[in-house]
Parts: sequence; structure tokens; C-alpha cells
Amino acid sequence: MNDYVASLIQTTCITMIGVISIFPLTGMTGLFSFGQAAYMAVGAYVSGIAAVKFGLPFWLCLVLGVCVSGVMAVIIGLPTLKLRKDYFALMSLCLGEAVTAVLNKFGAITGGAAGLSNIPKRATMLMIVLSTIAVIAMVGLFKSSRFGRMSLAIKTDELAAKSFGINVFAHKMKVYIFTSMIAGFAGVLYAFYLTYLDPNLFGWTRSSEWVIFLFFGGVNSLTGSVISTIFLTTLPEVLRFASSARIVMYTVMILLVINFMPSGLLGEKEFSIPKIIKFFKNHFHKKSRIGGEG
Amino acid sequence: MLFFVQQFVNGLSRGAVYALIAVGFALIFSVLKFSNFAHGGLISVAAYAGYYFSSKFNFPPVLAVACTALVGGVMGVVLDLIAFRNLRKRNSSNIYYFVSSITCGILFMNILTLMFGTTFYTIKPFFKSPIIHIGDLIMLKMDVAILLISVGLLAALMLLINKTKMGLALRIVSIDRDTAALMGINSNVIITVTFMIAGGLAGISGILLGSNFTIDPFLGNMVVKGFIASVIGGLGSLPGAIMGALLLGVMEVVFTVLVGDILSPAIIFVITLLFLLLRPQGISGQFIAEKA
Amino acid sequence: MALLKVENIAKTFGGVCAVNGFSMEIDRGEVVGIIGPNGAGKTTIFNLISKVYKTDCGKLWLDGTDISAYSQEQAARSGIGRTFQNIRLFTGLSVLDNVKVSCDYKPRYTLLEAILSLPRTIKGKKKTECEAVECLKAVGLERFADERPGNLPYGMQRRLEIARALALKPKVLMLDEPAAGLNPEECVELVSFLKEVIKRFDLALIIIEHRMDVVMNLCDRIYVQDFGKNIGVGTPLEIQNNPKVLAAYLGEGDD
Repeated sequence: MNDYVASLIQTTCITMIGVISIFPLTGMTGLFSFGQAAYMAVGAYVSGIAAVKFGLPFWLCLVLGVCVSGVMAVIIGLPTLKLRKDYFALMSLCLGEAVTAVLNKFGAITGGAAGLSNIPKRATMLMIVLSTIAVIAMVGLFKSSRFGRMSLAIKTDELAAKSFGINVFAHKMKVYIFTSMIAGFAGVLYAFYLTYLDPNLFGWTRSSEWVIFLFFGGVNSLTGSVISTIFLTTLPEVLRFASSARIVMYTVMILLVINFMPSGLLGEKEFSIPKIIKFFKNHFHKKSRIGGEG
Repeated sequence: MLFFVQQFVNGLSRGAVYALIAVGFALIFSVLKFSNFAHGGLISVAAYAGYYFSSKFNFPPVLAVACTALVGGVMGVVLDLIAFRNLRKRNSSNIYYFVSSITCGILFMNILTLMFGTTFYTIKPFFKSPIIHIGDLIMLKMDVAILLISVGLLAALMLLINKTKMGLALRIVSIDRDTAALMGINSNVIITVTFMIAGGLAGISGILLGSNFTIDPFLGNMVVKGFIASVIGGLGSLPGAIMGALLLGVMEVVFTVLVGDILSPAIIFVITLLFLLLRPQGISGQFIAEKA
Repeated sequence: MALLKVENIAKTFGGVCAVNGFSMEIDRGEVVGIIGPNGAGKTTIFNLISKVYKTDCGKLWLDGTDISAYSQEQAARSGIGRTFQNIRLFTGLSVLDNVKVSCDYKPRYTLLEAILSLPRTIKGKKKTECEAVECLKAVGLERFADERPGNLPYGMQRRLEIARALALKPKVLMLDEPAAGLNPEECVELVSFLKEVIKRFDLALIIIEHRMDVVMNLCDRIYVQDFGKNIGVGTPLEIQNNPKVLAAYLGEGDD
């Protein structure tokens, strides 16, 4: 496999982890966040610094990156999740910029605007692809569990959800921490794949990109997120668009989808193995009936 | 002592810039109940239009501003057509408007990047001698002009909204679109007018900001400050937006002096968060209930 | 002490006094009705008991415990279940999932166990499924388990709301206008259905209702509210002959 295709697959996968990380938060619980890339930044930098400045082994860096993301989610989540939805969205927007600013400022540790280089390349293609599949599975299990149900209930009607015993704030915190840790994980993979980090890679444009991909695929569909990420990341590559043209292209596509198919490409449909089996059963059952009827 | 007063004045100058953005933003929020991030895209477009009118065509400042406002108004209507009209028809929930507006904002700014690249453009300065001296204090004439214009626009807007028939229709549509329709008000027309006005405001913001800073496609990202200013001032309140903007400007400058410029976004985050936790209804105390 | 004891709760919104001191007691197996003209504050009473609003004064006890300071979700967990005047089903969830939501607050498995699909998760999911199906069967909706609530006719949506409240395993069940939109035969069915539910699930039932055939045939005791104040308490027979009640409903003047 040539290098170009390999790098395309890997960047698509890492982006996909990011998009899927906001599925439980934004898609299912209805908490719009334009700052989740900040957690990717935290995961990336913490693990990167652990490797470069302290020489720690990869697995330890990974654990550190993900855990620190989680801790930060607790600190940020506690005050911000209490706010009403549009204020939460606003704070999330500011969060991305705040984290970028901090990364720029404390250059002695982070390398500042010059970036952090020489991170060992430990993220292989296999690792990235397997991680992506694992994340998809975990979020899928989230959706089919009581947590997924509570998220959807809260999104539809918070008051009613409370009337059935759901501690809405506690649930939002759990989802926020969970999704932020996944974003942190994406950051770790990114750091050890790219081997170089820059504070400006993780601002609100990246976060918005994730939200937009989510909407394109269908806010309620995990499968939609997967497909839309693949589509929207590879299509501009195939067309060989430079960065701005690519952004123009997919913002136009999102606008088309929002205008004419607001529930996204897939709406609420999900890929599931039982459904596929049912489909084949029906098909073969019909065939055998036609043959068998006397 | 003089140092602090000067910093305060600097803060007001910066706040004036934010106020300009905040008023346009607050208008859309109070009539249509959503945060229009595409406002930033309009500002960027207007900045380039302003460049053409003032530096390329050499219009005198007032004419340039008027033309840019016109361009802004037209773009505002275009924005409504491509981003929001279908959502209204379908009665989509607010969050779709928000995402659509962000998408449009990004779209406009990237189209500008494609058209103009990353070269810096500057608008011919409006004033021959840019600085004004008030006693020992220094202020840019441009900043004073911006402040006065913001206040003036606000006054004009308040007059329009509170004292004219059109304004009444605007207020009714903002409260209850369906009932407004029952009363014979064509809400699509009213909303188009709203976007025209907001676009015009963005136009004026764009050219004034463009002459205050250099023009680049992402000038419009300052709309986030406009959002914060509106929130601090009380979402939906127009005078509140200006007060919030001035307060934000002063706080930003004060903290920059104390902590340095690079950390500014982090400071803003903390300030805004504290504000939202302690006084969510903003300075003006208006609380728009979250749409179910 | 009674299962649920409410003592002098009240709620004022701005200048409007919605509930002006309401007191009530109810025991297991009992049915209490709250009736009154529109605007009398009946749903506000429900909101006070289920802790949607904080009461301005007074106290509440459930099974001997003082629940006056409980939050909404705490009240639900301790056993106060309710339906809503305007149906508030979770439209994004299937019929069965709507009922399952009532079981979800129980920590049958943690988030970590869920995403790793550990054995406790599978056990927990099965248990929730069983309980939810049982409640759907109790209201006769098990055929529609995978439907969207929005696709069900109005009467069935109301039944689904009851199933959802039952899945909470409440001690006190509060139904807000359960007979709205039903014709007289359906009302008779509703009365016998509710009597059976009370016996089968061993709970206390409070209903707000305008349909007198339902109220008189179902309730052991009736509280009559008007403009936030209580104007009468008693058995159906006593209430029917109470002059103040008649005046509030039918107005003064010659009859």
C-alpha cells in the first residue's frame, strides 16, 4: 500500500475517533460543544511531553494522556454543564481558544508556537485502525445501554427525565468525561502518528468540523458519523482540493444537507448485524417459498 | 494613575469595536432567538467590500461606509436564503440554525480565502491625523468614531424597534411567529428585513473593523466577542449588548496588562464563565427562556 | 402514618397564588381524586408533590420519611410516579425504550461495564427488558414495543405514559387527566383497569380528572379545589351534595 493511501486512512481514522467522540455528547444528549478538540489537544500534548521530556514508555504516555483529559473534563464540566445549552456551547467555543492560548504561552514545556517535535512514531496503522473499531464498538454499546437511553431522554425532555429518577447533571458529567477521554485518546494517537504538535491544530475549527461531520451523517446515527467522516475526508483528497477549497466544498455539502435533509444522510438508521441477518433470511425465505410451492 | 486611566480608555476603545459587532448579533438573537455565527462571515465579506469601495474606488469615507452597508444588507438576505429559510419552513429546532450559521460563516470566510488569498489588505485610513488627545490621554480617532457610531446605530435601532410599525411587527414576530401570521404579518418579509438590517450592521462593522485592523478572511472570528458581549449584557437586550461589550473590552485590556497578551483567550474564558455562573441574566437582566 | 402525607403546601408565581395551602393524606390501596375548575391549581399540586416546584411552605412525608427537601429525581426514586397533562413521552425512543427509561436510574451496571459489555451489563439489560415488557403487558401495548410513540393513537399514548410510570415501581401513582379524550365506554374500561392496577401493584393512586363518571366510580375520597384553595373534602356522595362544590362548578343562582 503506498504511503499516500496509508496516511489518508490513518488521518481519516483519527478524525473519525474525534467525530464519534462527540456522538454521545452532542448527538445523543444534545449538548452542543465546539471545544472537544481541546481535549484532543490535552491528550496529544500530555502524552507527547511525557515521551519527549520525560522519556516515558508509550503505554504510560497513552494512559497519562487519556486520564489527564478525563480530569480536565471533570474540572471544566462541573461549572459549565450547569449552564443552559447555548451558554454551554459558547463556553465550549472559548475553551478551545483558551487551551490553545495556554499551549502557546507555556512554551518552555510545550514548545510554544514552534511546536513540539521528535515524538517517537509509535502509532502504527494497525493500532490506529483497531483503535477506531474499538471506539466505534464502545460508543455503539453506550448507545444500546441504559446510558444511551438516558441521554436520548434528556435530549428530548429534561424535565420528564428527572421525573423518572434520572439525575440529569450526573449523567451529563459522565457523558462529558467519557467523550472527552475518547477525544484525548484521539490526541494521543495523533501525537504519536504525526510526531509533531502545534498549538493551533486544535482550535474551534477542528471542533466545528467534527460537529459538522456529525450533522452530515445524521445526528442520531452512529453509522452516519462513520460514513460521513469517510466521505467528507476522502472526497476532497480524491478531487485533490487544497485546504480552503476542500472546506468550501464540504460546507456547501453540509448546507445542502441541512437545507434539504436536515436529519442528515442517514437520519436515524443504524447498521446492525441482526438487521442484515433478517434481510437475508427474508430474501432466501421468499426464494425457497417460490420454489417449494406446489 | 494616568496609566490606569489610559488603560481604561484603551479598554473602552476595544469595547467599542466589540459593541459594533454585538449590536448586530443581538438583533438577530432577539428577533430570531438563535446565535447567528454567520454574522462573522458577513463582517469578513464587508471588510473586503469596504476595501474595494474605499481603497480601490476611492470613495470618500461616508460613501464607502454606506455602500458597504448596502452590500452587507444584500449579503444578509442571501445568508437567510441559503442557511435559514428552509429551516424555518420546516420548523427545525434552534440547534440546526446554530450549526447552519457556523457552517455559513466558515463557508464565507473560506470563499474569501480562495478569492483573495492570504495577502494583507489595508483600508485607507479615514482620518488624516489618527490620534486625538484628551488632556494627557490618547485615543485613536477611529475608536472614538466607532464608539459614537455604535451608540448612534443603537439609538436608531431602538427607535426603529420601539417607535415604528415595522419595529412593532419585528417585536411581534420575535415573540410568536405563528400568532403574528394569524394577525396578517408576513413573517418571512419581516425576517428578511431583520437580516437586511443585521447585514447592514455587519457591513458597517466590517469596514470600520477593517480599517482598524488589517483585513484577512478570518476577521469575522471576532463575532465570538460579540456573542460574549451580548451574553454579558443580557441576551436579547440591545443596550445590554453595548454595555457588555464595553465591559468586556475594559476587562480584557486590564487582564492583558496584568497577565500578558498570549493568555488573553484563557482569561476571557474564566471571566465569561464566572459571569455566567454569577449572573446568567446579564447586566440588563433580560432572560430569554430557552426554547423547548 | 399515612403512606403519603401532605401538609399545607403552597405555591405562588409572581402575584398569582396557584396553591394556597393544600393538605392531604393517602394510604396504600386508596384512590384520591383532585377535581376543580380549570386554573384551580390541580396540576400545580402534582408538581409540588413530585417536586417539579419547591413548595413555598409546608411539608411532605412519604412512608414516614420527610421528603420536603427532595429534588425531582429523588422524589421519583423514593416512589412518586406520575403522568403529565400534556403527554411528555420520549419521542426519540421506541415504546419499549420509553418504559425502560424508568428502570435506568438504577445502577444495574456502570458505564465502564456497559462499554465493555461485561456480564453484569447483560444481566442488567435482561432484567430491565423483563420489567419493561411486564409493564407494557399490563397496559396491553406489548405488540407495539418497537413502534415510535408518535405513531400511536392518543389513547394508547396515554396508556404508554401509565406503563412508564408503573415501571418506576412507585408507591404513589399520580395520573393527570388519564381519561382525557376517552369516550364513555373507554372510561368504564379505564376505571376497572385502574382498580386492577392498584391491587396488582399495591400502590396509592391520586388522579386529577374532569370526567365525573370516572371520579365518582373510582375515588375513595375527593378533594375539590377552586382558585388554589380547598373547598371540600369527602366521599363521592358527600361531594356531590356539597353546596360550595356545586356553586363552584355550576355557579350561584337559580337551578
